Amino acid sequence: MEASWSSPAPGGPGAAEPQLQRFVEVEAQRQRAQLLVHHMTELCWEKCVGKPGPRLDGRAEVCLVNCVERFIDTSQFILNRLEQSRRARPVLSESAAD
Amino acid sequence: MAELGEADEAELQRLVAAEQQKAQFTAQVHHFMELCWDKCVEKPGYRLDSRTENSLSSCVDCFIDTTLAITGRFAQIVQKGGQ
Repeated sequence: MEASWSSPAPGGPGAAEPQLQRFVEVEAQRQRAQLLVHHMTELCWEKCVGKPGPRLDGRAEVCLVNCVERFIDTSQFILNRLEQSRRARPVLSESAAD
Repeated sequence: MAELGEADEAELQRLVAAEQQKAQFTAQVHHFMELCWDKCVEKPGYRLDSRTENSLSSCVDCFIDTTLAITGRFAQIVQKGGQ
Protein backbone atom coordinates (compact mmCIF):
# COMPACT_ATOMS: atom_id res chain seq x y z
CA MET A 1 0.00 0.00 0.00
CA GLU A 2 1.66 3.17 -1.19
CA ALA A 3 0.96 6.25 0.87
CA SER A 4 2.53 9.63 1.49
CA TRP A 5 3.91 8.60 4.86
CA SER A 6 5.96 5.84 3.27
CA SER A 7 8.45 8.43 1.93
CA PRO A 8 11.37 9.04 4.29
CA ALA A 9 10.52 11.52 7.04
CA PRO A 10 13.12 13.56 8.89
CA GLY A 11 14.79 11.23 11.34
CA GLY A 12 14.41 8.26 8.98
CA PRO A 13 11.42 6.16 7.81
CA GLY A 14 10.74 4.89 11.34
CA ALA A 15 9.99 8.39 12.69
CA ALA A 16 6.57 8.84 10.98
CA GLU A 17 5.21 5.50 12.20
CA PRO A 18 4.79 6.20 15.95
CA GLN A 19 2.80 9.32 14.98
CA LEU A 20 0.61 7.29 12.66
CA GLN A 21 0.16 4.61 15.30
CA ARG A 22 -0.88 7.25 17.85
CA PHE A 23 -3.33 8.77 15.36
CA VAL A 24 -4.92 5.37 14.65
CA GLU A 25 -5.16 4.62 18.39
CA VAL A 26 -6.86 7.95 19.13
CA GLU A 27 -9.33 7.53 16.26
CA ALA A 28 -10.12 3.95 17.25
CA GLN A 29 -10.71 5.07 20.84
CA ARG A 30 -12.97 7.90 19.67
CA GLN A 31 -15.00 5.47 17.59
CA ARG A 32 -15.31 3.01 20.50
CA ALA A 33 -16.50 5.82 22.79
CA GLN A 34 -19.10 6.93 20.24
CA LEU A 35 -20.42 3.41 19.81
CA LEU A 36 -20.61 2.99 23.57
CA VAL A 37 -22.56 6.23 24.00
CA HIS A 38 -24.92 5.20 21.23
CA HIS A 39 -25.48 1.79 22.78
CA MET A 40 -26.04 3.20 26.28
CA THR A 41 -28.48 5.78 24.92
CA GLU A 42 -30.57 3.06 23.31
CA LEU A 43 -30.66 0.89 26.42
CA CYS A 44 -31.25 3.72 28.90
CA TRP A 45 -33.92 5.35 26.78
CA GLU A 46 -35.90 2.12 27.06
CA LYS A 47 -35.43 1.89 30.82
CA CYS A 48 -35.90 5.50 31.82
CA VAL A 49 -38.09 7.32 29.37
CA GLY A 50 -41.76 6.31 29.35
CA LYS A 51 -44.04 8.61 27.50
CA PRO A 52 -41.86 11.51 26.27
CA GLY A 53 -43.04 14.77 27.81
CA PRO A 54 -42.23 18.34 26.78
CA ARG A 55 -38.89 18.04 28.57
CA LEU A 56 -36.76 15.45 30.40
CA ASP A 57 -38.09 15.39 33.99
CA GLY A 58 -35.94 15.07 37.12
CA ARG A 59 -36.93 11.43 37.69
CA ALA A 60 -35.83 10.46 34.18
CA GLU A 61 -32.57 12.34 34.63
CA VAL A 62 -31.77 10.51 37.86
CA CYS A 63 -32.66 7.24 36.16
CA LEU A 64 -30.34 8.04 33.25
CA VAL A 65 -27.43 8.80 35.56
CA ASN A 66 -28.02 5.52 37.41
CA CYS A 67 -28.41 3.73 34.11
CA VAL A 68 -25.02 4.83 32.78
CA GLU A 69 -23.31 3.86 36.03
CA ARG A 70 -25.13 0.51 36.28
CA PHE A 71 -24.32 -0.18 32.63
CA ILE A 72 -20.63 0.18 33.40
CA ASP A 73 -21.00 -1.92 36.57
CA THR A 74 -22.86 -4.60 34.64
CA SER A 75 -20.26 -4.70 31.85
CA GLN A 76 -17.52 -5.11 34.42
CA PHE A 77 -19.49 -7.79 36.24
CA ILE A 78 -20.08 -9.76 33.04
CA LEU A 79 -16.42 -9.40 32.10
CA ASN A 80 -15.34 -10.83 35.45
CA ARG A 81 -17.90 -13.62 35.24
CA LEU A 82 -16.74 -14.57 31.74
CA GLU A 83 -13.14 -14.64 32.92
CA GLN A 84 -14.15 -16.96 35.76
CA SER A 85 -16.04 -19.24 33.37
CA ARG A 86 -13.15 -19.32 30.89
CA ARG A 87 -10.78 -20.42 33.62
CA ALA A 88 -13.22 -23.10 34.76
CA ARG A 89 -14.08 -24.27 31.24
CA PRO A 90 -11.24 -23.71 28.72
CA VAL A 91 -13.32 -25.29 25.90
CA LEU A 92 -15.36 -22.04 25.86
CA SER A 93 -12.71 -20.16 23.93
CA GLU A 94 -13.34 -22.41 20.93
CA SER A 95 -17.07 -22.95 20.95
CA ALA A 96 -18.66 -19.89 22.56
CA ALA A 97 -16.37 -17.32 21.05
CA ASP A 98 -18.11 -17.20 17.64
CA MET B 1 8.35 0.43 3.51
CA ALA B 2 11.27 -1.72 4.60
CA GLU B 3 10.84 -5.49 4.45
CA LEU B 4 10.17 -7.03 7.85
CA GLY B 5 12.67 -9.54 9.16
CA GLU B 6 11.45 -12.91 10.44
CA ALA B 7 11.52 -11.80 14.08
CA ASP B 8 9.56 -8.60 13.30
CA GLU B 9 7.08 -10.59 11.24
CA ALA B 10 6.50 -12.99 14.14
CA GLU B 11 6.13 -10.09 16.58
CA LEU B 12 3.63 -8.40 14.27
CA GLN B 13 1.63 -11.62 13.98
CA ARG B 14 1.62 -11.96 17.76
CA LEU B 15 0.40 -8.36 18.17
CA VAL B 16 -2.36 -8.85 15.60
CA ALA B 17 -3.47 -12.10 17.26
CA ALA B 18 -3.55 -10.37 20.67
CA GLU B 19 -5.61 -7.48 19.28
CA GLN B 20 -7.97 -9.91 17.58
CA GLN B 21 -8.47 -11.81 20.82
CA LYS B 22 -9.13 -8.56 22.69
CA ALA B 23 -11.67 -7.50 20.08
CA GLN B 24 -13.35 -10.91 20.19
CA PHE B 25 -13.61 -10.77 23.98
CA THR B 26 -15.01 -7.23 23.87
CA ALA B 27 -17.59 -8.38 21.33
CA GLN B 28 -18.51 -11.25 23.64
CA VAL B 29 -19.03 -8.92 26.61
CA HIS B 30 -21.12 -6.64 24.41
CA HIS B 31 -23.20 -9.62 23.30
CA PHE B 32 -23.82 -10.76 26.86
CA MET B 33 -24.82 -7.22 27.78
CA GLU B 34 -27.47 -7.33 25.05
CA LEU B 35 -28.80 -10.64 26.34
CA CYS B 36 -28.68 -10.06 30.09
CA TRP B 37 -29.31 -6.35 30.61
CA ASP B 38 -32.98 -6.61 29.76
CA LYS B 39 -33.48 -9.83 31.68
CA CYS B 40 -31.79 -8.68 34.86
CA VAL B 41 -31.89 -4.92 35.17
CA GLU B 42 -35.40 -3.60 35.64
CA LYS B 43 -34.98 -0.02 36.73
CA PRO B 44 -31.34 1.08 37.21
CA GLY B 45 -30.78 1.88 40.89
CA TYR B 46 -27.97 3.42 42.90
CA ARG B 47 -25.95 0.26 42.77
CA LEU B 48 -26.05 -3.31 41.47
CA ASP B 49 -27.95 -5.20 44.15
CA SER B 50 -27.37 -8.88 44.92
CA ARG B 51 -30.54 -9.96 43.14
CA THR B 52 -29.32 -8.34 39.92
CA GLU B 53 -25.85 -9.79 40.35
CA ASN B 54 -27.27 -13.28 40.82
CA SER B 55 -29.46 -12.84 37.77
CA LEU B 56 -26.46 -11.70 35.70
CA SER B 57 -24.38 -14.67 36.87
CA SER B 58 -27.17 -17.06 35.99
CA CYS B 59 -27.66 -15.36 32.66
CA VAL B 60 -24.01 -15.70 31.66
CA ASP B 61 -23.71 -19.30 32.89
CA CYS B 62 -27.00 -20.32 31.33
CA PHE B 63 -26.11 -18.86 27.96
CA ILE B 64 -22.74 -20.60 28.00
CA ASP B 65 -24.43 -23.91 28.86
CA THR B 66 -26.94 -23.32 26.06
CA THR B 67 -24.15 -22.67 23.57
CA LEU B 68 -22.27 -25.79 24.64
CA ALA B 69 -25.44 -27.91 24.52
CA ILE B 70 -26.35 -26.73 21.04
CA THR B 71 -22.77 -27.06 19.78
CA GLY B 72 -22.56 -30.59 21.22
CA ARG B 73 -25.88 -31.68 19.75
CA PHE B 74 -25.02 -30.21 16.37
CA ALA B 75 -21.68 -32.01 16.36
CA GLN B 76 -23.51 -35.27 17.13
CA ILE B 77 -25.91 -34.77 14.26
CA VAL B 78 -23.10 -33.93 11.84
CA GLN B 79 -21.16 -36.98 12.98
CA LYS B 80 -24.18 -39.26 12.53
CA GLY B 81 -24.80 -37.79 9.10
CA GLY B 82 -21.22 -38.56 8.10
CA GLN B 83 -21.48 -42.27 8.93
